[in-house]
Amino acid sequence: MKFSFRYIQDKIFTGFATGAAGLLVVVLLLVLTPMVYRGTKAVVFQGTIEYRKMQLDVFGRGDIEVIATEKAKAQQVRDKLYAMIEGFKKGLDVDVLSGRAKNIYRNYGKEIRDKELASEEFRRRRELSRKIRNELMTAFSLSDKEQIKAHLDNVLGYKDNTDFEGTSAKDFFALAEEFSEIVENIDLKRRKEYANSLGEIEGAVLKLLGPLPGDAVPALVQDRYGCTRMDMAKVQIDRVLYSQRWVSQANNDSLVKVKISRVQQFAGTEMARLFDFVENNADAMLMPKSTFYWQYFIDDSTAGHYFGGVGHEIIGTLLLTIVAMLFAFPLGVISAAYLVECASDGPVTRIVRMCINSLAGVPSVVFGLFGLAFFVLYLLPLMGALSKGCVLTASLTLGVLTLPVMIRASEEAIRAVPKTYKEASLGLGATGLRTFVKVTLPAAMPGILTGVILSISRVAGETAPVLFTGAVALGPLPKSLFDPARTLSYGSYDIAVGDRLAMQVPHNQYGMVVTLVLLIIVLNTAAIFLRAKIFKKLKGL
Amino acid sequence: MNKPQIDTAKEPTASQRTLVLTPLQDLSGFLAHHIGRATLFAVACSSVVAVLLIFLFVIKEALPFLQTHSIGDLFSSSAWYPEADEPKFGILALLTGSVYVTVAAIMIAVPIGITVAVFLSDITSMRVRNYIKPVIEILAAIPSVAYGFFAVLVLAPWMQNSWSFSTGTNALNAAIVLSIMALPTIISVAEDAISAVGRDLREASYGLGATRFETIFKVVLPAANSGIVAAVILGVMRAIGETMVVWMASGNANQIPSPWWDLSQSVRTMTATIAGEMGETPKDTNHYHSLFFVGVTLLVMTFMLNLVSEYFLASAKKKTGK
Repeated sequence: MKFSFRYIQDKIFTGFATGAAGLLVVVLLLVLTPMVYRGTKAVVFQGTIEYRKMQLDVFGRGDIEVIATEKAKAQQVRDKLYAMIEGFKKGLDVDVLSGRAKNIYRNYGKEIRDKELASEEFRRRRELSRKIRNELMTAFSLSDKEQIKAHLDNVLGYKDNTDFEGTSAKDFFALAEEFSEIVENIDLKRRKEYANSLGEIEGAVLKLLGPLPGDAVPALVQDRYGCTRMDMAKVQIDRVLYSQRWVSQANNDSLVKVKISRVQQFAGTEMARLFDFVENNADAMLMPKSTFYWQYFIDDSTAGHYFGGVGHEIIGTLLLTIVAMLFAFPLGVISAAYLVECASDGPVTRIVRMCINSLAGVPSVVFGLFGLAFFVLYLLPLMGALSKGCVLTASLTLGVLTLPVMIRASEEAIRAVPKTYKEASLGLGATGLRTFVKVTLPAAMPGILTGVILSISRVAGETAPVLFTGAVALGPLPKSLFDPARTLSYGSYDIAVGDRLAMQVPHNQYGMVVTLVLLIIVLNTAAIFLRAKIFKKLKGL
Repeated sequence: MNKPQIDTAKEPTASQRTLVLTPLQDLSGFLAHHIGRATLFAVACSSVVAVLLIFLFVIKEALPFLQTHSIGDLFSSSAWYPEADEPKFGILALLTGSVYVTVAAIMIAVPIGITVAVFLSDITSMRVRNYIKPVIEILAAIPSVAYGFFAVLVLAPWMQNSWSFSTGTNALNAAIVLSIMALPTIISVAEDAISAVGRDLREASYGLGATRFETIFKVVLPAANSGIVAAVILGVMRAIGETMVVWMASGNANQIPSPWWDLSQSVRTMTATIAGEMGETPKDTNHYHSLFFVGVTLLVMTFMLNLVSEYFLASAKKKTGK
């Protein structure tokens, strides 16, 4: 009894511990999978004709003639869509209709004035046409079908009046007939609802297809093109097809998003055709093509990372990393050499070691404060440069931050060199320095390189230290070490929470952070393999 | 120095070369040795210089603030309104926020971390270990801004929708992500400590008929206790100094959660305050100096924690060093 309890206890614990280790793997996958999945969409996606237009305008890529023919072909289909919307709008808008009626009245007035009629006759005709105009305008403003019909019939009653023979007043009757047809088809009581819905549809179409060919070019780049990607286009098509309302649920207070099909809303009108048209001709209007946008990694981006890639961020990150390593590498290796080869176990060495550990424990944001106070506000003015964050200050801050990583890795690598190497060299009469430079260091080099790779991955990923020492969210490429730079890490932060425009392009949000994460994972994997190889080699000796 | 004339066809023999160094050679060798050592020492002191400079400059920028405010007031008030007409600089809520998310994160990370450490050292085979180790290393390597990104764009909406919290960016969100970040540190330090306990103690326990569970809990973990304490402290340091995740995920509301156990409230930490406000603060204002003061507080806290962890690591080394 007692034994079986202990046995079960042991097994449960084993299972629990295995589960905990499994949990780590699950957590890693949970963190990485959604990011990588969505980030890949920044590079591989269905690009529309708008995307190709944008690439041509902004980055000068693509064949002008091919794009022009594609554009013309898509425009043919798009024109049909615009015509449908325009047609429906014409019948719906009271102001437009009234305006037309007023126009006809004005033209007719001019016509009869030119005829030089007797003043009484002129006044009579004028009076009559005004009456017709007013009847029409009343009809337009009403919403009850029967009442409208009555007014329109009044108007049409004058149709055979000989006064109007051969004059522009005929247009009154054409207008009246047109409107009576609209009245037959559209329930005018819902005019306001239609107008609202139509406004939404027009907005979505503008986003989907971009500005109309005749319109002025918008000032912002992101407004100049329709949906450049099919996944974004699907969202806009959905907006065209469905209206979204927040509806409160029956039993509790929370609101639920409900999609209402517009087809039913516009049932019986000419607009009902539009929805089928949009759904069936989306491909013809947008011409999607599978796109592999590898230039994502070299392109600059437009404001808010709306279009383009992360090229400048990658360059900035590399620049910061290289300068930081130029600083940290020699200091780290020499410090490690001293600690391994020369240092006795005295109090001085202990203080040095304690400082290295303290340095490793300093919060990264405090490194940022230090970089601001020392490098930016103290050292730069001392050097006669402008006191503002720049590549140099950010790199130096990162260099100090990564110094402990560098020292520890180098120390481990130098320690791992077999003693026999050193003894052989010393036995041949080489001095200690010579032995270190010619024998120990080359043997430890692969291990030190592992440390370099790990330091690089630390430097490239740190955000807090560069916040106030030289990273910017927007700006040109740095021309010298005294210019600020964009970095992947700060860009990832900015694109996730700082930038409103970037919220609309989730693929670019994820693309940036995935670029950073992949860079770091590749570096780390390389370090892991390198270390395994060295371990094997040293074990074999 | 006279070079002996050597016939190039013949190898120089021992009698032809002088084995004794001239005094000049001796001196230069001596000097090279000592100058080299001194240079190495000077470079090795760069870390010491860096630590001193960090303390010096962060404190220097914080000092003007202490001339106008007393430390007691700062730590007793939770009103942080640095830009108000009548600015208030109470950092109690910020301090509480930092400690709050850290403690919550450690409560999650320590049981899991130590269990995994035990799993790696005592339970699993070398083969599985070789798969788990890189996973831990990658978890440690993922940049904090990527974790923050995960917290804001994946975890927060999920929490808001499926747990019906009023906001997805809250103390719990920050604590969960911080615990993921603290795990690698805790696991690797704890595993070192547990592995260092040695075979003999374990074999003695197994020999007496104890199960693995009993061996681990009654022999191995007690023997490794100081190393495990050090692991926990290093985990705390990792969590309390973390900036980007708490800034992005904790909601940044300057309040002390009430009731105290309600993790679904937003809090604000010291690190997030520095990161969030420093960029927009003009130089040499009270607000600017106050942020440096928060930095000093943070620095002193982590420095103390570091000393404590060093003490525990040293005593762990002494215990297993034999």
